Amino acid sequence: MAASAGPRPGWSRRAQYSLFFSFLAVIAGLVVGLILLILSLIAPQSYATVRGAALDVTAPVSGGLRQVTTTVTGLFSGAGDYWDAANQNAQLKRDRAALMRRMVEAKAIIEENKQLKAALQLRERTREAVAAGRVVGSSFESSRRFAIISVGSSDGVATGMPVRAAEGLIGRIVDTGSVASRVLLVSDRANIVPARILRGGQPVISTGRGDGTIDVRPLEVGKNPFKPGDIIVTSGTGGLYPPLVPIAKVLRLDDDGAIAIPIADPSRVSFAIVEPPFEPDALAAATSAETP
Amino acid sequence: MVRSALGPVRSRLNQGPRTGAEYIPAATVVVGSSLSLLPIISSSGWWPDCGLLMLLGWRLLRADAWPAWWAAPLGFVNDLLLGNPIGLSIALWAAMMIAMDILDRRTMWRDYWIEWGIAAVLIALSELAHWRAAAILGAEVPFAKSAGPAILIAVFSFPIAAFIASRIDRWRLGR
Repeated sequence: MAASAGPRPGWSRRAQYSLFFSFLAVIAGLVVGLILLILSLIAPQSYATVRGAALDVTAPVSGGLRQVTTTVTGLFSGAGDYWDAANQNAQLKRDRAALMRRMVEAKAIIEENKQLKAALQLRERTREAVAAGRVVGSSFESSRRFAIISVGSSDGVATGMPVRAAEGLIGRIVDTGSVASRVLLVSDRANIVPARILRGGQPVISTGRGDGTIDVRPLEVGKNPFKPGDIIVTSGTGGLYPPLVPIAKVLRLDDDGAIAIPIADPSRVSFAIVEPPFEPDALAAATSAETP
Repeated sequence: MVRSALGPVRSRLNQGPRTGAEYIPAATVVVGSSLSLLPIISSSGWWPDCGLLMLLGWRLLRADAWPAWWAAPLGFVNDLLLGNPIGLSIALWAAMMIAMDILDRRTMWRDYWIEWGIAAVLIALSELAHWRAAAILGAEVPFAKSAGPAILIAVFSFPIAAFIASRIDRWRLGR
């Protein structure tokens, strides 16, 4: 096959000029693109408005499609639930009885905890959710791990707020539109969460690995403190994330840390709850120190 | 009366380009970019950048699919839809147009393998640029975990995009 019909304008002066100006325009496009790129790499917040506006336009589309897929998968899983219903029912009854016993124990522990806290005079903060929305999409084309949720600044969401589900931590807000926001998931490499192991309470650092898993490392060098199955929870250090929110479950150990999988799977959670930063004052001080 | 008017309605004669034929290629690139709006919540980001695949498919098929500078606004739309750092696709896509213009002057002949090779190189460069931009923004992931699989998947899905582009091209020109 011959080379594709390249730009051969022939003898027409007009065609030659238009080709030349098109060439100048693409070079101008390259230069403008590079300038915009450098600006967005140096100061990522400089495009907050335009990125927010794009989110507002695109998120309702994803949201509508998401409704369709949940309905369809709901039909199938609903039909699946009828299959073998008697066995499931018996199993659920047994589970329920077991859970009731555990709940009574837990209630007693909560009561005891309250008394101990009162003795220590710890102030218990009431945590009110800012907004609750659905996860409607994700960045499945990029090595960054972002999700889109269907609440935005009109619901009171602001950049930097932690996002969680009933199951555990999802991430934090990085872009807000007025009806949608972008969440940096805990599995993103840039999301570093101060955490601790639920068993024993040893402080660790949780970092995403960009492929849906999380890398956890102890703060103190020494013996590897992890065991497969350990639950990692937030420690509340740093003031952004509230303490004791489950993050991940340890899957396997590597040389001095462990690989864990997030407990709240963004594709399964029904609602994402946006909360205010845990210690707004500490956070403001930290961010102002970060960006002079 | 011309003879062809007596024939069946969908005759092979009297078929010109569809209305707005010159905007259809750019529109399919935007459609490719907006595939990112599908409600797929994936734990890894290995899906191909469909806007880029359509851009390469069209540009390798025809040099005159759009004026070269259209790549910059198309890249801007892609950046907005995908949530990339703004300017990344603008610069990359404009640079790709220039590179292809140079390639068109240099290559004496083409076949499907050479086109696939060119597309593979450009896709790999684009993924590497995305990977480095992510690293600059604080998300340094190992190559084998992110850019590597993404390049492989995108290179192997390029022929699909090229096929779609060639079919749409025939349709829009009324052939």
